[in-house]
Amino acid sequence: MEKTSNSACETCSHFNPDGLKKLGIKTDDFDFVVALAGNPNTGKSTVFNALTGLRQHTGNWPGKTVIRAEGAFEYNEQKFKLVDLPGTYSLLSTSEDEEVARNFILFGKPTVTVIVVDASRLERNLNLVLQILEITNNAVLCLNLIDEAERNNIQINTRILAKDLGIPVVPTNARLQKGIPELIQTISELANNKIKIKPRKIKNIPKDIEKAVQELSNALEKEYPTIPNSRWIAFRLLEGDTQIIEALESGEIVAQ
Amino acid sequence: MSNKNIKNILALAKELRWQIGDDYHDNLTESIYADASKIVEDAVTKDKGKSKFRLDTKIDKIVTSKIWGFPIMLFILGVVLWLTIIGANYPSSLLAELLLDNIHPFLKNLGTSIGFPWWLNGFLFDGVYLAVAWVIAVMLPPMAIFFPLFTLLEDFGYLPRVAFNMDALFKKSGAHGKQALTMSMGFGCNAAGVVATRIIDSPRERLIAIITNNFSLCNGRWPTQILLATIFIGAVVPKTYSSFASLSAVIGIAVLGIFFMFFFSWALSKTVLKGEVSTFNLELPPYRPPVFWKTIYTSLIDRTLIVLWRAILFAAPAGAVIWLISHIYIGTESIASWTVHSLDGFGFLLGLNGVILLAYIVAIPANEIVIPTILMLTVLVTGISGGEGAGVMFELDSVTGTADILRAGGWTLLTAVNVMLFSLLHNPCSTTIYTIYKETNSMKWTLIASILPLVAGFIVCFLVAQIWRILV
Amino acid sequence: MNYNPYIALLLFFGISLILFLVFRPKKGLFFLFKKTYKLNHKIAIEDILKLLYHNQTNNNSLTANDITNNLNYSNSLIIDSIEKMMDSDLISLEGDTVKLTNSGNEYSLRIIRAHRLWEKYLSEKTGFHHKEWHEIAEKKEHELTVEDTNKLSVLLGNPKFDPHGDPIPTSTGKMALKKGTPLSNLKVGSVGRIILIEDNPEIIYKQILAENIHINSIVRVIENNTTRIVFHSEGEKFVLAPIVAGNITISVLEKKEIDEENITRLVSLKENETATIIGLSKESRGENRRRLLDLGFVKGATIQIDLLNPLGDPKAFLIKGTSIALRKKQASKILIKKD
Repeated sequence: MEKTSNSACETCSHFNPDGLKKLGIKTDDFDFVVALAGNPNTGKSTVFNALTGLRQHTGNWPGKTVIRAEGAFEYNEQKFKLVDLPGTYSLLSTSEDEEVARNFILFGKPTVTVIVVDASRLERNLNLVLQILEITNNAVLCLNLIDEAERNNIQINTRILAKDLGIPVVPTNARLQKGIPELIQTISELANNKIKIKPRKIKNIPKDIEKAVQELSNALEKEYPTIPNSRWIAFRLLEGDTQIIEALESGEIVAQ
Repeated sequence: MSNKNIKNILALAKELRWQIGDDYHDNLTESIYADASKIVEDAVTKDKGKSKFRLDTKIDKIVTSKIWGFPIMLFILGVVLWLTIIGANYPSSLLAELLLDNIHPFLKNLGTSIGFPWWLNGFLFDGVYLAVAWVIAVMLPPMAIFFPLFTLLEDFGYLPRVAFNMDALFKKSGAHGKQALTMSMGFGCNAAGVVATRIIDSPRERLIAIITNNFSLCNGRWPTQILLATIFIGAVVPKTYSSFASLSAVIGIAVLGIFFMFFFSWALSKTVLKGEVSTFNLELPPYRPPVFWKTIYTSLIDRTLIVLWRAILFAAPAGAVIWLISHIYIGTESIASWTVHSLDGFGFLLGLNGVILLAYIVAIPANEIVIPTILMLTVLVTGISGGEGAGVMFELDSVTGTADILRAGGWTLLTAVNVMLFSLLHNPCSTTIYTIYKETNSMKWTLIASILPLVAGFIVCFLVAQIWRILV
Repeated sequence: MNYNPYIALLLFFGISLILFLVFRPKKGLFFLFKKTYKLNHKIAIEDILKLLYHNQTNNNSLTANDITNNLNYSNSLIIDSIEKMMDSDLISLEGDTVKLTNSGNEYSLRIIRAHRLWEKYLSEKTGFHHKEWHEIAEKKEHELTVEDTNKLSVLLGNPKFDPHGDPIPTSTGKMALKKGTPLSNLKVGSVGRIILIEDNPEIIYKQILAENIHINSIVRVIENNTTRIVFHSEGEKFVLAPIVAGNITISVLEKKEIDEENITRLVSLKENETATIIGLSKESRGENRRRLLDLGFVKGATIQIDLLNPLGDPKAFLIKGTSIALRKKQASKILIKKD
């Protein structure tokens, strides 16, 4: 087995290994909330375990985590609570797991959302990534299973990918702890607003839909000038999402 | 303040939605994927010649092939069950010796020496402690073998292939191929099987899998089957065939369970679950070498915790109730013997007796204590000597001793056959019922899942009893 | 014990038989009783309103006698109902013919809205077979209040059309317009999209449903004469009698938007072939459709067979880098063009 010190960042000037403590399930008194989202079977739970030092069971089965799991780690004297969301293919349908994941990102207002993707099947995973980037403005892409992608002769240019998506991209192999220090460093920088990011919004939408979305999101922004995801709410209103409608009526959607 | 504006926004949304028409969702998903493929074009280069890892393809071709697919599956399931039953024997008897033969007398002596009154001593150690100890001794070893093995197969990625192979069979009864797996998990523990149905994401098929999981004979019930088959079924054939006959009887019961599972899946999908949404979704993930020791360790800890939790939460109260009903007297009769007598008539109609029915009522929390409870109640009611004395659960080391007590309690071959059937077909244990409620969040489905197998059990036992009495 | 196994068995089967007779699905005494008990003037009135509305849009006028002949209610119930409807100003008599008043018109639109929304609901959110939708909605339309219907409409995203293409009236009675030509009037070689399958009369509607023809699919006519109309749609060939084809409304497409000839269904894909997905057939609805889209079965994606099953079904397809198993029923709803 390779050792974690193989990772380039373990010794680099940015990462501070002494500042890291894995806190397991001690999730009280945290400074930041970090959500962990991603497709089923991308090794999301392995990333969760690598970050928290927990041993939540991770199956090679799409859709293992249905109840969300929580853990924590401490880095540079700041405590991060980590919430592992159910793996979903999308946030547009109405299944139970999708609702749990969606509601947490929307109403739980995590400081940072880590989106775990399978590097060898990036295209399919981007479907969810693009949807999440419509909801939240603070996210990092965890390009997991990078070893598997290499084995399959897939090369990913992380710089181009990061530029296209407008968020930081960290390649990892969570099973061997590779890339985890970089991920922690990035999460910490995002949480402390040290990196400025501008997530990509979905393009190429048919004109009539785009027009309707514009009209609706303008109306929403006029009502709530600070709302970060008016476009996404507009998407859901057009779908007739009753939960979003109720949240809008009750004011929950803008509550801090 | 802004309520009116919100109303306007919602009205606007309604109007716009109406204008853009019904293809909205399709168009949106298509544009997201189109966007995704643009990004991938930019950032990803692929050597197209070998896009899929070759070993994966080779393994897949074998495990889903026409010739090898099913034999490999049956072989693996057989090995897992065999390892569980054989492998659990030794640690189970070790645990039984430790918890029941050594610690139990020690605790009772301790109680006496520090001056516990007899009833407190009995209640705590003969009731609560014994039930907990029994559940741990019977359930822990097989669980600790069965589930880690399953988890390894799961981590490797083989299980989705099983679902893939079996789907056509399950589809016929309106169920999902993944039910093959939750059913197999049920052979270990029904509660675990019910939790495992989370892998089925179609609401209708998931409910079917939950409701019918109890038809998988769980680890708590295998010992009952094996004991009764050895005593009664093995005895009707010549000695050389007796172990073969009893083994076939046990396997027959398990297979009958599978038959009932298919039948009720079909019946449910045609009736109460008819209108539920049904989707099919099965991803075949790439194979990944399991992290062997870590998996074994995690799974072992998980299972041990579940068994202990269950023993304390469910078995302990059952033990208390068993002790109480056999020690509280109304007039000259204990509650236990009074209940046994009033259940005798109904029991007889089903080819069972009052003792068995009462044992199954008090053993709802844990099927493992059915046999000890039956033995205790039989001694209590018939007044014969044997075991630990009145009102204490026990099991005998010798099979013949157990047989003698049961025969003295009026057992015949019919009784044994019907107990084996009833052990397969009755309400789930309370851990499973609780799990079903938590998973479905619905009183209605929990009730149906609890009562359906019981009704099936009553009907089957009744019919067997009548036909038996007419023919024999 | 004083007991005879024969008698016990006899009693058991006797009780089972009685339970069966009482609770048999649909035909059981319990359900028959429930049905007659529920039958009341409200339902009769609403059915008469619907009948009048449909005939008025087709410019047919009806007499009271016609109503009695067209509806499966007793004469006295209908006559009673008509009287009540006159009293509450829902209908008026012009000579022999019964006409809807304005408020009658509004009321019938409300019922039609409830009916069509419920059909949409059944198609999107439940697992009932498409042949059952109409019948279930016929009952449900009488139970939904105005408020229920509005909520339902929001839940479904304010749909414009019901699953067989009829426009759903909005709460203010607005309806989307559909301009089209009956399939029977189409010239050979013309291409169009099915926009409406008329569910009236029911015999013809059921025939169309049995043919696996569905709304929004593209058709190309290859033969049209007095005895039969032959056309291609979604990779299959259909032959219909003109009277049946007359109940299918087509919106003619000027340009050939899609080259219909080469489109086939995913089920026909063989090992070692690759194909491009053209889209999902409109038969795939609701949760099932959304799931397929989420999994990446979208327009333009390349697809090939990854694994065959020892029992033949399902098959695993390689799509966007992942192996996903689909049942035959699902694969037959995905339209592809082989490379």
